[in-house]
Amino acid sequence: MKSPKILLITILLGALFTLSSCQTYKSYEAMSFDYFDTVTTIVGYEKNQKAFNERFTMIDNALKKYHRLYDIYYEYENLNNLCTINKNAGIKSVEVDQEIINLVKYGIKMYQSTNGMMNIAMGSVLKLWHDAREKALADPLNAKIPAQDDLLLAQKHMDINKVIIDEEKSTIYLEDALMSLDVGALAKGYATEQVAKMLEDQSLNSYVLNVGGNIRLIGSKPHDELWHIGIQNYDLTSDNDNLATLALKDLAIVTSGSYQRYFEVNGIRYHHIIDPVSLMPKNDYVSISVIAKDAGLADALSTALFNIDIEQGKTIIEQFSDVYVMWVSSSGQITYSNQFTDFMI
Amino acid sequence: MKMKALIKKHLLEIIIIGSILLIALLALLMINLAMPKGDYVVVIYDKVEVERYPLTAEISKNLSYEDNHYNYLIIKDGKAFILQASCPDKICVKQRPISKVGQTITCLPNKLVIKIVGKTSTVDMVS
Repeated sequence: MKSPKILLITILLGALFTLSSCQTYKSYEAMSFDYFDTVTTIVGYEKNQKAFNERFTMIDNALKKYHRLYDIYYEYENLNNLCTINKNAGIKSVEVDQEIINLVKYGIKMYQSTNGMMNIAMGSVLKLWHDAREKALADPLNAKIPAQDDLLLAQKHMDINKVIIDEEKSTIYLEDALMSLDVGALAKGYATEQVAKMLEDQSLNSYVLNVGGNIRLIGSKPHDELWHIGIQNYDLTSDNDNLATLALKDLAIVTSGSYQRYFEVNGIRYHHIIDPVSLMPKNDYVSISVIAKDAGLADALSTALFNIDIEQGKTIIEQFSDVYVMWVSSSGQITYSNQFTDFMI
Repeated sequence: MKMKALIKKHLLEIIIIGSILLIALLALLMINLAMPKGDYVVVIYDKVEVERYPLTAEISKNLSYEDNHYNYLIIKDGKAFILQASCPDKICVKQRPISKVGQTITCLPNKLVIKIVGKTSTVDMVS
């Protein structure tokens, strides 16, 4: 009497397994506007909305943590962050989380690798531009660029050697009272990379993190299919949304563009990437896209490359393995570094 | 008394009309909530698309296509709105910020329409 019952249960269980293995992964998407002064988009393949929502909450919390640590504009209760370090410039060293030490150390390393073309210690200059841009957003008719005298004065206070890190005590001290850290060229990519690594440690697959254009791919799409990533066409009225489409997995791609964040004064456009030498936005390129394994590296390089010519840029990227670049000049001319085109479809 | 009798006589009609209105209201609310967020802010001047910006941008831009006529467009935090304008009625300035596909801000005096559209390409993400 018992065996038919067992048979029935086996068949039912078998059917259930077959059904569940057929259950397909669907693509889900969620956005947040709270971090790093930009838009964050998360795409992930999951079996259902609930599973995705749980992951999204986790990713969102992780980004929130980095956003607070790397915030240069606001302080938070019971937390020493970059804003705290800046406030105490010339006064005292500040004990901070290891994640801040790691970011600042990476910033100094990237300063050296880019011959100073990406400088996290140029907060004094960037603040003048940031204030001008904020004022322009609030009152466009009276928009102004920073005064040359103010810029030259600020330039005297961007010496990265005056960022003193004490790893044993876990402190950072800015020796110059008038200097400040601004990690805008690095923090988004760096934080994206840390969150991606956390997800990879959990063996997560088939997710994309996009923090304001800092894209980090985690694995591939289901069934080993590659992600298709478009590089935005700077000519936004064109019929083609994308200048190129790339097929990628596991990598990071970051685009810095002069069309993404800017203000206008008398019809002249001033974008947000400030050249540490001229202290002005450079208008050689409309966008530079960098593919790398590390989103922090891609972010830092995309900023640094904006401030130098293509030949100098090629010398800089030679230091790194697996870095591929696409430069789009202001006249629309496109230059690729070796092998970038291999990813194009 | 007369009113009560009237209501009683037309109770069925009142219920039917009431439910239709309620359903319409709910549908409107649901359509509004379900509308996808857009990808681009399109500027249309005199029926022709003249500019297009990513909705993720942070931009302040003077849209001026005729002498002494202007609308100051701001794109910030995934929303677009008109901050200042030369038009006499300022209706465009009073509009709420727009962010969802199909939403528009119109400035009739300046023949200007700001419209939110979605992307047409089929990539997974855009950098």
